[in-house]
Amino acid sequence: MNAMNHQSGPLLSAQKLTKTFGGITAVKDISFDLMPGEILGLIGPNGAGKTTCFNLITGFYVPSAGSVSYRGRDVTGQKPHAIAQQGIVRSFQKTNVLKSLSVFENILAGHYLEGRQSLLSTFFPGSKVRRTEAALRDSAADIVHTMGLSRRMDAPAYLLSCGELRLLEVGVALAAKPSVLMLDEPAAGLNSQEALAFGETLRKLRGTRAESILLVEHNMALVMGVSDRLVVMNFGQKLAEGRPADILANRDVVEAYLGKAHA
Amino acid sequence: MKLERNLLFAFLLLAAALPLVVGDQYLLHLGIMVLFYAVLATSLNLVVGYVGEFSLGHTAFLGIGAYTAAICSLKFGMPMWATLPLAALVSALFGLAIGAITLRLQGPYFVIVTLAFAEVLRLIANNWIDLTNGPMGLAGVLQPRLLADGSNLFGKQFYFYVALGLAACALYLAYRFVYSNAGRAAVTVRENRYVAQSVGIRPFSYAMRAFVLGAMLAGLAGGFYAHYISFVGPEVFTFSFMITMIIVVLVGGKGTLVGPLIGALLVTLLEEYLREAKELRLSIFGLIVVAIVLFLPRGLMGFLTARRERRGEISAAPAAPADVAVAREGA
Repeated sequence: MNAMNHQSGPLLSAQKLTKTFGGITAVKDISFDLMPGEILGLIGPNGAGKTTCFNLITGFYVPSAGSVSYRGRDVTGQKPHAIAQQGIVRSFQKTNVLKSLSVFENILAGHYLEGRQSLLSTFFPGSKVRRTEAALRDSAADIVHTMGLSRRMDAPAYLLSCGELRLLEVGVALAAKPSVLMLDEPAAGLNSQEALAFGETLRKLRGTRAESILLVEHNMALVMGVSDRLVVMNFGQKLAEGRPADILANRDVVEAYLGKAHA
Repeated sequence: MKLERNLLFAFLLLAAALPLVVGDQYLLHLGIMVLFYAVLATSLNLVVGYVGEFSLGHTAFLGIGAYTAAICSLKFGMPMWATLPLAALVSALFGLAIGAITLRLQGPYFVIVTLAFAEVLRLIANNWIDLTNGPMGLAGVLQPRLLADGSNLFGKQFYFYVALGLAACALYLAYRFVYSNAGRAAVTVRENRYVAQSVGIRPFSYAMRAFVLGAMLAGLAGGFYAHYISFVGPEVFTFSFMITMIIVVLVGGKGTLVGPLIGALLVTLLEEYLREAKELRLSIFGLIVVAIVLFLPRGLMGFLTARRERRGEISAAPAAPADVAVAREGA
């Protein structure tokens, strides 16, 4: 029965998610499904509640109401590390990397779950641990290459440019071998050409390094080009949902972004 | 990683050869103190450098180790080879208990609460006369039978090799931990808790591992101290040990394994040479520490690696501007 769920049901499902901070409702009754193999864009003006949604799904916030389920299991209110261990891995809007470590070390650190070992083999590693370590290093080098950071492999992260940092952050998330990859404005700070190239990278990741991708992004060219479906938020509520072409034609959405005169 | 391992090996080999060349008891005593502080600083470094929190209560574990060894030795007549592991074990258990409370705190709160634990233990040592003999301390901790009819020089040589064995053991454990997946996880937590959690690391449990390992090694050093000095009093819990430990770690460079060794060597020798300056000693010491914190914030080891990096950067620089680092294969 579980296997059938994988085939037909959504991979990740948010049901009526609500979050209040004191008297302010940041997110209200947000529901959406992320289907297997899908790239879902989550867009909306600044302050619409997109990042709050991310925090609710990944356990950094506990929802005031509503639920999150993953592969049919309820994961609402679990701790961030527990949710990550199940395969939901995110990046952050404000770039978060391990600043003093090199690009390679950053991505190697992301392989934590794969490299877990017993206390005994931490202090007395045998050939099995050495094989695992070698495999992790290969995998890390491979991800560095995929993200186009090969030439910066051994550079410490604090020397990277803003664009490189965003790529590194996605790389660290990939290192945790996610099923659901959640990216919070990964193209912020990239120029338009770089953003397009980044879109290509994202499309290649789907189905190979991550089953589905949930994307928050302000760069419209990128998010329209790469997403299968879009969810539009405004003032903490869901405004519209649909294919990119339909969203572009939606009067409410145009109004939210550009104001009434254009609608 | 390779560089660090080779340096550690070189240090241990050089140390092993020392008693063969040096026949002077005083110099051997200095050697023993260097090794003792090396173990202690390695253990503090696991907390400061790898948990990333500043513990001012690390003497708690030194003292627990010392008292455990002294009590086991005096009340139960246990020999040194049994009291040392026991000291490490009891210290590790205390590390587990104290860590369970303090590691939930960060920054200044962590500093204050760890300090409070050490202070409470000092008060207990001072007042629980039945167990600790109060301020009089526990004197006459048993010496290994081997030493009974050997010369004083032989005694020093014996303790030197015991200390060397402990240092090797401490460095091995620290090295394995730091370069394991667990050590990487601890560094990830130190650098950025959010990234750590989002790749599946439970921050508390990895801070705990580094903390307990640190406690265990400090306990081991404490047990050794009890036998070597053959006296343990409440002063093992006092701040002066803590200050020396901190200076050793800061001077050498926190977050590196070789750093505490360099620090231990430098600080022990400096303390001895500055003895002639009498009251000025601590002031001069303070100035040196201020200078190091100001000009070499990552310690001597950090200074050396930074130089290596800078040389590497210059050779790699021409490639940097062209590298916009975007995956273009697909475009």
